[in-house]
Amino acid sequence: MEVVLHLPVVPNVELVAAKAVETLGGALGMHQTHVEAASVAMVEACLNAMEHGGGPVTVRLHSGNHAEKPCLVIEVEDHGQGFDPATAPQNSPSRVLGCSSKRGWGLTLIRELMDDVQIRSEPGKTLVYMCKYVESSP
Amino acid sequence: MNEERIKVSKNLLSEGLGLVTAAGYINNEGGQAIADAATELMDQGCKTLLIDLEGTRIINSIGVSILLEILEKLMDEKGRLAFCNLTPTISKTFEIMGLVQYASVYTDREDAVKAIEGDATV
Repeated sequence: MEVVLHLPVVPNVELVAAKAVETLGGALGMHQTHVEAASVAMVEACLNAMEHGGGPVTVRLHSGNHAEKPCLVIEVEDHGQGFDPATAPQNSPSRVLGCSSKRGWGLTLIRELMDDVQIRSEPGKTLVYMCKYVESSP
Repeated sequence: MNEERIKVSKNLLSEGLGLVTAAGYINNEGGQAIADAATELMDQGCKTLLIDLEGTRIINSIGVSILLEILEKLMDEKGRLAFCNLTPTISKTFEIMGLVQYASVYTDREDAVKAIEGDATV
Protein backbone atom coordinates (compact mmCIF):
# COMPACT_ATOMS: atom_id res chain seq x y z
CA MET A 1 0.00 0.00 0.00
CA GLU A 2 1.64 3.24 -1.13
CA VAL A 3 0.53 6.77 -1.96
CA VAL A 4 2.77 9.20 -3.85
CA LEU A 5 1.82 12.86 -4.21
CA HIS A 6 3.53 15.62 -6.15
CA LEU A 7 2.36 18.83 -4.54
CA PRO A 8 2.57 22.21 -6.25
CA VAL A 9 3.15 25.24 -4.04
CA VAL A 10 -0.41 26.53 -3.70
CA PRO A 11 -2.28 27.63 -0.56
CA ASN A 12 -3.52 24.81 1.70
CA VAL A 13 -2.12 22.03 -0.53
CA GLU A 14 -0.68 20.52 2.67
CA LEU A 15 -4.25 19.47 3.49
CA VAL A 16 -4.17 17.10 0.51
CA ALA A 17 -1.23 15.33 2.15
CA ALA A 18 -3.01 15.35 5.52
CA LYS A 19 -6.04 13.73 3.86
CA ALA A 20 -3.76 10.98 2.52
CA VAL A 21 -2.49 10.37 6.08
CA GLU A 22 -6.07 10.13 7.29
CA THR A 23 -7.00 7.64 4.56
CA LEU A 24 -3.93 5.42 4.79
CA GLY A 25 -3.74 5.59 8.58
CA GLY A 26 -7.40 4.58 8.78
CA ALA A 27 -6.80 1.68 6.40
CA LEU A 28 -3.92 0.50 8.60
CA GLY A 29 -6.20 0.57 11.65
CA MET A 30 -4.44 3.42 13.42
CA HIS A 31 -6.21 5.11 16.31
CA GLN A 32 -7.76 8.45 15.31
CA THR A 33 -5.49 10.32 17.75
CA HIS A 34 -2.39 8.84 16.09
CA VAL A 35 -3.75 9.69 12.66
CA GLU A 36 -4.31 13.29 13.74
CA ALA A 37 -0.80 13.53 15.22
CA ALA A 38 0.70 12.20 11.98
CA SER A 39 -1.47 14.64 10.00
CA VAL A 40 -0.15 17.64 11.92
CA ALA A 41 3.44 16.38 11.44
CA MET A 42 2.74 15.95 7.73
CA VAL A 43 1.35 19.49 7.48
CA GLU A 44 4.45 20.90 9.20
CA ALA A 45 6.83 18.91 6.99
CA CYS A 46 5.03 20.07 3.82
CA LEU A 47 5.01 23.72 4.97
CA ASN A 48 8.75 23.55 5.75
CA ALA A 49 9.47 21.91 2.39
CA MET A 50 7.48 24.53 0.49
CA GLU A 51 8.93 27.45 2.45
CA HIS A 52 12.56 26.37 2.37
CA GLY A 53 12.54 24.19 -0.74
CA GLY A 54 10.80 26.81 -2.83
CA GLY A 55 9.33 24.37 -5.35
CA PRO A 56 7.11 21.33 -5.70
CA VAL A 57 7.18 18.79 -2.89
CA THR A 58 7.03 15.02 -3.24
CA VAL A 59 5.25 13.08 -0.51
CA ARG A 60 5.31 9.30 -0.13
CA LEU A 61 3.23 7.35 2.36
CA HIS A 62 3.33 3.62 2.87
CA SER A 63 3.01 0.98 5.52
CA GLY A 64 6.25 -0.32 6.97
CA ASN A 65 8.01 -1.74 9.99
CA HIS A 66 10.23 0.10 12.41
CA ALA A 67 11.83 -1.65 15.38
CA GLU A 68 9.73 -4.66 14.39
CA LYS A 69 6.48 -2.75 14.85
CA PRO A 70 4.05 -1.97 12.04
CA CYS A 71 3.96 1.73 11.24
CA LEU A 72 2.84 4.39 8.82
CA VAL A 73 5.89 5.78 7.01
CA ILE A 74 5.84 9.32 5.63
CA GLU A 75 8.58 10.80 3.47
CA VAL A 76 8.58 14.45 2.40
CA GLU A 77 11.14 15.55 -0.18
CA ASP A 78 12.05 18.97 -1.50
CA HIS A 79 14.77 20.27 -3.77
CA GLY A 80 15.89 23.41 -2.00
CA GLN A 81 19.37 24.35 -0.83
CA GLY A 82 19.23 22.03 2.17
CA PHE A 83 20.19 22.61 5.79
CA ASP A 84 22.13 20.99 8.60
CA PRO A 85 19.57 19.10 10.75
CA ALA A 86 22.02 19.11 13.69
CA THR A 87 21.93 22.90 13.91
CA ALA A 88 18.24 23.36 13.07
CA PRO A 89 16.41 25.34 15.76
CA GLN A 90 14.84 23.37 18.61
CA ASN A 91 12.19 25.67 19.97
CA SER A 92 10.95 25.90 23.53
CA PRO A 93 8.06 27.85 25.06
CA SER A 94 10.38 30.02 27.15
CA ARG A 95 11.93 31.35 23.95
CA VAL A 96 8.66 32.32 22.38
CA LEU A 97 6.57 34.49 24.70
CA GLY A 98 7.75 38.08 24.47
CA CYS A 99 9.71 37.30 21.33
CA SER A 100 8.67 39.13 18.16
CA SER A 101 8.99 36.01 15.99
CA LYS A 102 6.98 32.99 17.04
CA ARG A 103 7.83 30.90 13.99
CA GLY A 104 10.19 27.95 13.72
CA TRP A 105 8.17 25.22 15.43
CA GLY A 106 7.89 22.79 12.53
CA LEU A 107 10.74 20.39 13.31
CA THR A 108 10.05 20.50 17.05
CA LEU A 109 6.44 19.47 16.48
CA ILE A 110 7.40 16.76 13.98
CA ARG A 111 9.89 15.24 16.44
CA GLU A 112 7.42 15.34 19.32
CA LEU A 113 4.40 14.01 17.44
CA MET A 114 6.04 11.16 15.51
CA ASP A 115 7.70 8.00 16.82
CA ASP A 116 10.83 8.20 14.65
CA VAL A 117 12.19 11.06 12.54
CA GLN A 118 15.26 11.10 10.32
CA ILE A 119 16.38 13.97 8.15
CA ARG A 120 18.85 13.74 5.29
CA SER A 121 19.71 17.01 3.66
CA GLU A 122 22.21 18.15 1.04
CA PRO A 123 22.14 20.95 -1.52
CA GLY A 124 19.32 20.12 -3.94
CA LYS A 125 17.60 17.49 -1.83
CA THR A 126 16.12 17.29 1.64
CA LEU A 127 14.25 14.20 2.76
CA VAL A 128 12.29 14.11 5.99
CA TYR A 129 11.50 10.50 6.95
CA MET A 130 9.07 9.94 9.78
CA CYS A 131 7.05 7.06 11.09
CA LYS A 132 4.16 6.60 13.46
CA TYR A 133 3.52 3.20 14.96
CA VAL A 134 0.12 1.77 14.17
CA GLU A 135 -0.22 1.02 17.86
CA SER A 136 1.53 3.57 20.03
CA SER A 137 0.72 5.61 23.09
CA PRO A 138 -1.22 8.77 22.18
CA MET B 1 -11.19 16.59 9.02
CA ASN B 2 -9.74 18.84 6.36
CA GLU B 3 -12.13 21.74 6.25
CA GLU B 4 -10.12 24.49 4.62
CA ARG B 5 -12.25 27.48 5.49
CA ILE B 6 -12.57 28.09 9.19
CA LYS B 7 -15.87 29.16 10.72
CA VAL B 8 -15.41 31.63 13.56
CA SER B 9 -18.07 33.25 15.71
CA LYS B 10 -17.96 35.36 18.85
CA ASN B 11 -20.29 36.03 21.77
CA LEU B 12 -20.27 37.98 24.98
CA LEU B 13 -21.11 35.34 27.61
CA SER B 14 -21.15 37.59 30.66
CA GLU B 15 -19.50 40.79 31.80
CA GLY B 16 -15.84 40.54 30.89
CA LEU B 17 -16.08 37.01 29.48
CA GLY B 18 -16.03 36.50 25.74
CA LEU B 19 -16.40 33.32 23.73
CA VAL B 20 -14.80 32.61 20.36
CA THR B 21 -15.81 29.41 18.58
CA ALA B 22 -13.69 28.14 15.72
CA ALA B 23 -14.26 25.10 13.52
CA GLY B 24 -11.87 24.29 10.67
CA TYR B 25 -8.20 24.49 9.78
CA ILE B 26 -6.21 26.83 12.03
CA ASN B 27 -3.52 28.07 9.66
CA ASN B 28 -2.44 31.70 9.19
CA GLU B 29 -5.90 32.70 7.93
CA GLY B 30 -7.74 30.68 10.59
CA GLY B 31 -5.50 32.02 13.36
CA GLN B 32 -6.00 35.57 12.13
CA ALA B 33 -9.80 35.14 12.02
CA ILE B 34 -9.69 33.99 15.66
CA ALA B 35 -7.39 36.90 16.56
CA ASP B 36 -9.76 39.40 14.91
CA ALA B 37 -12.71 38.02 16.88
CA ALA B 38 -10.64 38.07 20.09
CA THR B 39 -9.60 41.69 19.50
CA GLU B 40 -13.22 42.76 18.98
CA LEU B 41 -14.23 41.11 22.25
CA MET B 42 -11.29 42.70 24.08
CA ASP B 43 -12.33 46.08 22.65
CA GLN B 44 -15.76 45.44 24.20
CA GLY B 45 -14.11 45.04 27.61
CA CYS B 46 -13.51 41.28 27.78
CA LYS B 47 -10.49 40.40 29.87
CA THR B 48 -11.20 36.71 29.83
CA LEU B 49 -11.53 34.87 26.54
CA LEU B 50 -12.65 31.30 26.06
CA ILE B 51 -11.78 29.76 22.69
CA ASP B 52 -13.93 26.71 21.89
CA LEU B 53 -12.29 24.51 19.25
CA GLU B 54 -15.03 21.94 18.86
CA GLY B 55 -14.98 21.04 15.16
CA THR B 56 -11.29 21.86 14.75
CA ARG B 57 -9.16 18.78 14.13
CA ILE B 58 -6.12 20.13 12.31
CA ILE B 59 -3.85 23.06 12.99
CA ASN B 60 -0.42 24.26 12.00
CA SER B 61 2.31 26.04 13.90
CA ILE B 62 1.71 29.34 12.11
CA GLY B 63 -1.91 29.33 13.28
CA VAL B 64 -0.88 28.44 16.84
CA SER B 65 1.74 31.21 16.84
CA ILE B 66 -1.13 33.67 16.23
CA LEU B 67 -2.94 32.19 19.25
CA LEU B 68 0.26 32.85 21.24
CA GLU B 69 -0.01 36.51 20.20
CA ILE B 70 -3.58 36.64 21.53
CA LEU B 71 -2.29 35.16 24.80
CA GLU B 72 0.44 37.82 25.05
CA LYS B 73 -2.04 40.59 24.36
CA LEU B 74 -4.35 39.32 27.11
CA MET B 75 -1.47 38.89 29.55
CA ASP B 76 -0.44 42.50 28.88
CA GLU B 77 -3.97 43.53 29.92
CA LYS B 78 -3.84 41.26 33.00
CA GLY B 79 -6.44 39.11 31.29
CA ARG B 80 -6.86 35.39 30.90
CA LEU B 81 -7.14 32.93 28.01
CA ALA B 82 -8.86 29.56 28.14
CA PHE B 83 -9.58 26.78 25.66
CA CYS B 84 -12.09 23.96 25.55
CA ASN B 85 -12.98 20.99 23.34
CA LEU B 86 -9.41 20.29 22.25
CA THR B 87 -8.53 17.03 20.51
CA PRO B 88 -5.64 15.14 22.16
CA THR B 89 -3.31 16.15 19.31
CA ILE B 90 -4.23 19.84 19.51
CA SER B 91 -3.82 19.67 23.27
CA LYS B 92 -0.36 18.12 22.85
CA THR B 93 0.61 20.71 20.24
CA PHE B 94 -0.43 23.52 22.61
CA GLU B 95 1.62 21.85 25.35
CA ILE B 96 4.71 21.61 23.12
CA MET B 97 4.37 25.25 22.05
CA GLY B 98 3.79 26.49 25.60
CA LEU B 99 0.20 27.68 25.34
CA VAL B 100 -1.07 25.47 28.15
CA GLN B 101 1.54 26.83 30.55
CA TYR B 102 -0.19 30.20 30.44
CA ALA B 103 -3.74 29.37 29.36
CA SER B 104 -6.37 27.17 30.99
CA VAL B 105 -7.72 24.10 29.23
CA TYR B 106 -11.16 22.66 29.94
CA THR B 107 -12.92 19.57 28.66
CA ASP B 108 -15.99 21.35 27.34
CA ARG B 109 -17.69 24.72 27.32
CA GLU B 110 -19.91 24.03 30.32
CA ASP B 111 -16.92 23.09 32.52
CA ALA B 112 -15.00 26.10 31.29
CA VAL B 113 -17.73 28.66 31.97
CA LYS B 114 -18.46 27.15 35.38
CA ALA B 115 -14.78 27.30 36.36
CA ILE B 116 -14.15 30.78 34.97
CA GLU B 117 -17.29 32.32 36.49
CA GLY B 118 -16.57 30.50 39.75
CA ASP B 119 -13.10 32.05 39.88
CA ALA B 120 -14.55 35.48 39.19
CA THR B 121 -16.82 35.30 42.23
CA VAL B 122 -14.03 34.31 44.67
